[in-house]
Amino acid sequence: MGKAKRYQYDYEQYEDGKGPKTMVEDILSDPEFGQVTDLTIGSWGDACGDSCQDILDGITDNKDRFAHVEKLFVGDMDYEECEVSWIMQGNYGRLWKALPGLKELTIKGSTDLILGDVEHENLESLTIICGGLGTSVFEELKRAKLPSLKKLVLYIGIENYGFDGTKDTVKAFLEESDFPNLVHLGIEDSEIQDDLAQVALESKYMSRIHTLDLANGTLTDKGGALLLEKLPQFPNIQVLDVHYHYMSDGMVKKLSQLPIQVDASEPNEAEEYHGEIWMNAMLTE
Amino acid sequence: MSRLMLLGNPGTKRTRYLEKGAALWGVQLCLLDWKEFPKNLLSQDSGAGPFFLKIDPPLWDSCCLEQLSGLTWEYKENLMELARQGSRGKICFFNDPKTIKALLDKRGCKRRLREMGIPVTEELEFFDWEGGKKEGPGQYPRFSDLLDAMKDQGIFQVFLKPNYGSGAAGVMALRCDPAKGQMVLYTCAAKDPETGRLVNTKRLRRFGDRQQVSDMAQLLLRQDCIAERWYPKAEHNGHSYDLRVVVQDGEVDFALARLSKGPITNLQLNNRPLKAEELGLSDSVWDRVRQICLKAAGCYPGLRSAGIDILLEKGSLRPRVIEMNGQGDLIYQDIYGENRIYQKQGKMMREWQMRRQWEDRIWKNTC
Repeated sequence: MGKAKRYQYDYEQYEDGKGPKTMVEDILSDPEFGQVTDLTIGSWGDACGDSCQDILDGITDNKDRFAHVEKLFVGDMDYEECEVSWIMQGNYGRLWKALPGLKELTIKGSTDLILGDVEHENLESLTIICGGLGTSVFEELKRAKLPSLKKLVLYIGIENYGFDGTKDTVKAFLEESDFPNLVHLGIEDSEIQDDLAQVALESKYMSRIHTLDLANGTLTDKGGALLLEKLPQFPNIQVLDVHYHYMSDGMVKKLSQLPIQVDASEPNEAEEYHGEIWMNAMLTE
Repeated sequence: MSRLMLLGNPGTKRTRYLEKGAALWGVQLCLLDWKEFPKNLLSQDSGAGPFFLKIDPPLWDSCCLEQLSGLTWEYKENLMELARQGSRGKICFFNDPKTIKALLDKRGCKRRLREMGIPVTEELEFFDWEGGKKEGPGQYPRFSDLLDAMKDQGIFQVFLKPNYGSGAAGVMALRCDPAKGQMVLYTCAAKDPETGRLVNTKRLRRFGDRQQVSDMAQLLLRQDCIAERWYPKAEHNGHSYDLRVVVQDGEVDFALARLSKGPITNLQLNNRPLKAEELGLSDSVWDRVRQICLKAAGCYPGLRSAGIDILLEKGSLRPRVIEMNGQGDLIYQDIYGENRIYQKQGKMMREWQMRRQWEDRIWKNTC
């Protein structure tokens, strides 16, 4: 049984000269690292100013010593350390080949994020948490070859934080991508969550997945009604995750009566300001 | 019977739960209403011997930050008046009014703690309020002064707080990325569209537009502010938290974690409280927190009860004192539970009363 371990630098360490260039060396010098299969990399010092590229390069350059890692999270930090949209990500192009044993990859932040040619035989789970996902990343994912992928969660986000697409971008991605073993689809954290609920419900993956995840966005009764209408057509769906939403109590009640597991926690209320209705996706406020 | 007084506010939770705690020790309190201060205090001076007095904070209903500043000034004057009355030997204070006043001054409190070697959340030097305002009387620091100081000192995230203020009133969390010119500000303060003044609300907002950030911060800088380094706080189950520790007579009587999904953890913002023991912190972390709290309380000899806010740095869990409060003893999770804090105060009052009776007996026997 492998261990889970998190590596990060606090402010004092950053002031003492630690940063992305020293992170891999510090990880490798940890006597416990040989047992670490679940590797989390938190703040690398000044995550708003320095990209994590040196860390990614350090992993690929020492691929044999990272071969036992099955789960990797790059950029696990919260608002206390860095705005999610300010986290400087990197190019993952060389990582896919370097870590053939990787089963789960989570990336936080989308600034300067490049996935490259995504091809991996064993990756089962890919999550990108960000304030706004660029169309370039959607394009890379469209071409991705991930035959074992079971779980895909994408935070869509908003324009100010990097989402430069529309619902059609997501629609095209779902149409053109090919993840034959996908069972969990997450299209989260959007301010057009109702539209994306419709896009997801019309996608080819609906007949294959058991979990539909539309959480952390501005899902309203409009999207809720659509889910109520369409979900009974898909007996394969076992779990609906819509936590953090803007639906009414009545709609939540109706969804909860579906014969599946429903997470509709964290309700929010829209605000009216100068006659306009304001709603925020979870990571965008 | 030696008299026990509370200068406070009728019907409030502070009053009711202190009365309950005192009653357990057979102690009855006489309430002096802040609304009738100082007349009600002066009328106690009847030659009936000294009395014990606990001072609760007065109730304020304004949410305008400039008004709060005026009310704080008035409160400090009242505390000085209480200290003058006490100097005549007629009052035994629970917490000394001069100490309560000293703790209202965040900058002064931290200076003292720092001098005693206690780790605090460090301040950014950006405007010399006390050494004479740099640009002459009546001038305020500019937002650009703050940004320059942040850049010079290599600190890119700070909390801007009114030096005299309680709770989250007016607090702003500011983060800048000088390389890209980005900035973001989190605050519960809002600009009143009619008066243009800052008002306190219970909702945390985020501003990402540079002009908005500048406007909001500049409004707060019109008051005497401190800028503290914003240390990433420890997290528990996806929430960041700090601790409110209540120290009374050299013992930690209560510790509460204040969990939040935003940078400001004050419980008035509907953040989530958690019994500190449920955080699963190691004994060594607790020992460090306890030692720091006891040492901090010990820096103020006239202070028998202190609410101390402690930050644990993310990762290292290194504790630092954020601020101290001479009236920080109201914890809902305690009063609706064991009411341990106010029961202890009841015990302290009972002990004072018994000591007085004993001293009186000796005095009479001697005569």
